[in-house]
Amino acid sequence: MIELKDVTKVYYKGTPKEVKAVDGISLEIAKGEMVVLKGPSGSGKTTLLTLIGCLSRPTRGRVLVAGKDTSRLQEPFLTFHRRMHVGFVFQQYHLIPDISVYENILLPLYPLDMTSQEMEERVEDALRKLRIKGKEAYRAKDLSGGEQQRVAIARALVTDPEIILADEPTANLDTHLSRDFLKIMDGLKEEGKTIVIASHDPLVYEHKGVDRVIEMRDGRLVGCS
Amino acid sequence: MGRLKHLLAVYGILSLLLAGMVLHAILSTHAAKSVLEERERLVSMLGLTDLCLTTEARYTRHPSQADYFTPFQDNPMSLELFPSGGAMAPPSFKEIPRKMVVKDE
Amino acid sequence: MSKERHKHILSFSITSLLRRKGKNLSIFLIYTLMVFLLGSVVFFVSAIKREAATTLKGAPDIVVQQIRAGRHDLIPTEYMEKVRTIRGVTKVIPRVWGYYFDGPTQSNYTIIGMDGESYEAFRDRIPFLSPEEAPIGNGKVLIGKGIARSRGLKRGGHFYLLRSDGGLKTFEVSGIFSGRSSLLTHDLIVMSEKDVRELFLIPARYSIDLAVYVRNKEEIETIARKIGEVLPGTRAVIKEQITKSYETVFGWRSGLVFTALLGTVLAFAILSWDKATGLSADERKEIGILKALGWRIEDILEMKFWEGLTISLTAFLAGIILAYIHIFFFGSYLVAPAIKGWSVLYPPFNLNPYMDAGEVFMVFFITVVPYTVATLIPVWRSSTIDPDEVIRGI
Ligand SMILES: Nc1ncnc2c1ncn2[C@@H]1O[C@H](COP(=O)(O)OP(=O)(O)OP(=O)(O)O)[C@@H](O)[C@H]1O
Ligand SMILES: [Mg+2]
Repeated sequence: MIELKDVTKVYYKGTPKEVKAVDGISLEIAKGEMVVLKGPSGSGKTTLLTLIGCLSRPTRGRVLVAGKDTSRLQEPFLTFHRRMHVGFVFQQYHLIPDISVYENILLPLYPLDMTSQEMEERVEDALRKLRIKGKEAYRAKDLSGGEQQRVAIARALVTDPEIILADEPTANLDTHLSRDFLKIMDGLKEEGKTIVIASHDPLVYEHKGVDRVIEMRDGRLVGCS
Repeated sequence: MGRLKHLLAVYGILSLLLAGMVLHAILSTHAAKSVLEERERLVSMLGLTDLCLTTEARYTRHPSQADYFTPFQDNPMSLELFPSGGAMAPPSFKEIPRKMVVKDE
Repeated sequence: MSKERHKHILSFSITSLLRRKGKNLSIFLIYTLMVFLLGSVVFFVSAIKREAATTLKGAPDIVVQQIRAGRHDLIPTEYMEKVRTIRGVTKVIPRVWGYYFDGPTQSNYTIIGMDGESYEAFRDRIPFLSPEEAPIGNGKVLIGKGIARSRGLKRGGHFYLLRSDGGLKTFEVSGIFSGRSSLLTHDLIVMSEKDVRELFLIPARYSIDLAVYVRNKEEIETIARKIGEVLPGTRAVIKEQITKSYETVFGWRSGLVFTALLGTVLAFAILSWDKATGLSADERKEIGILKALGWRIEDILEMKFWEGLTISLTAFLAGIILAYIHIFFFGSYLVAPAIKGWSVLYPPFNLNPYMDAGEVFMVFFITVVPYTVATLIPVWRSSTIDPDEVIRGI
């Protein structure tokens, strides 16, 4: 499903601030696999996720998602790819703060050309799954951190993507909610979704549903289990 | 979707007002016809030449009778004095027959 | 199929607009004001042009003025004989008229002299006059509403004007023109030619100018040229120039139009500049998020387009409607002072409503289009960057 070949991402290339966030990583993730990226802060987890999620393009190397070499795709095709295949949960949630929870979850559906009714059903579904029913009229910025995180997850799931990328999804959830989250992930895995989670939460990488834990350090892979 | 309805409602009201405005313009153009005709008659009876838009200076009271220099005739160095003279441009006398005609003897 | 998408995006753009209420409301207000100003001037000017074009149809075909040392001067009445001999001329009327500056009320009157016989001929058919048969001559005069009001005069009332030699001359009001003709008669005093001559001490053999009427309107220009030939030293103003002068007087070169246009364009340039030079960090981030969620560049552009169009269209409609009301229901309250200037005899500006579709469209075009385009440029720029970078704010 996902294949990285000698992928490198350099920020501020050619300036004194140059950072090699991801440094020559090769990696393969099969369809239906649940993988956890683990590693200290700054090790490049988020960067790797954005590369897989087509939010940015590698400086060198190739990223293949669902058989397509996304590193060479033109912008419109990248967007298409994102829209069709990927659900992304950001580390900082990146909700739009001053519109309602409901609207936030609705956002990824706008370009999909659905009927209003279909859109509503999907959002209701996601609200139920993430247990944020009753909060849908709140503005995103009026929610607690944990609630915002769940909205972010709901937003990633609402398009029913094949690949789910979650960046530190449990950072603001209590144990109970974290377990809930993992349960949802297990369910999605059963549906055949491919899941990549960046996390250094033991609860996540020790979870029994996880197929593989990949450890990163300074932009490189240092271990696999 | 409720928002969309509100927007459409606003546009509905504005378009109605606009339509009302157009209608009003058409109707009153029609209604004004007789007044305009009577005014035209008055003009021809009294031999008037200009509208009474401003009464402060003779070259703005009868702009068609003035020329570029009229404002300066009383004092060649004076700048435009009257506000209305600043708001109105001098008339164009481009088409005026001002060719010098030398008669053959 | 794809109709749904547009509907949703439009609906979201309204949500998005309502979010920044303060900012968008102030843009809306400035915008409306701009359209209002521009629209007011456009309505005012085209209404006046039309008033002039239609009412002045009856004006003399040619006015012959004597020019001496570059100035208007009295014209020898005998010149009319020379003009009359030109083929195609039906009628020549030596006119005796002038301006009277009234010290006490600090205002200018326009004094028109009528020769007694021709006046008698149509005195019962003069429009807008009350009573309908008002005699003139021997100090009896007709006056405009403005003069009647400023002097508190009624029919039968008496007033004095100062003769050019300093003496006083008494007049009696025999009729007053009704307000509906004010656009022509507001400052008018119509008296017999003899009275005008006495008032201004105009020598018997001279007139102010000659009004010439022509049989075939096609020939006006030729005849005007011929007048120039037979009467060197005179100037012939043809009717077309009289009506055309209103085109020029209120054309774009006129101060009124120019100022409104300049102000509007400036305000507009500032607004668009502000829009075009950049989005706030929040707006940029939002674009990045939308892209990350799978929005296409065209989806984002469409949303911003709806936003821009909603503001500009609403503002346009509101502004143009307000402008119409302002000009035709409230007597051009804001524009008229520029024309009136210091006029003490305030001429009325209850213009007949008139709307030129082409001009309204022009206002639409120069306000709505640039703004909407200006809103799209920066959006387009930041929506072409990778979402990752936009979100991080680089
Ligand atoms: N857009 C960017 N521009 C410049 N530098 C970046 C950018 N994104 C990441 N970096 C740098 O790349 C390195 C890896 O960052 P990344 O966010 O991938 O780490 P991480 O493993 O997700 O850390 P954390 O656990 O704190 O989230 C860091 O040094 C970071 O400063
Ligand atoms: Mg990170």
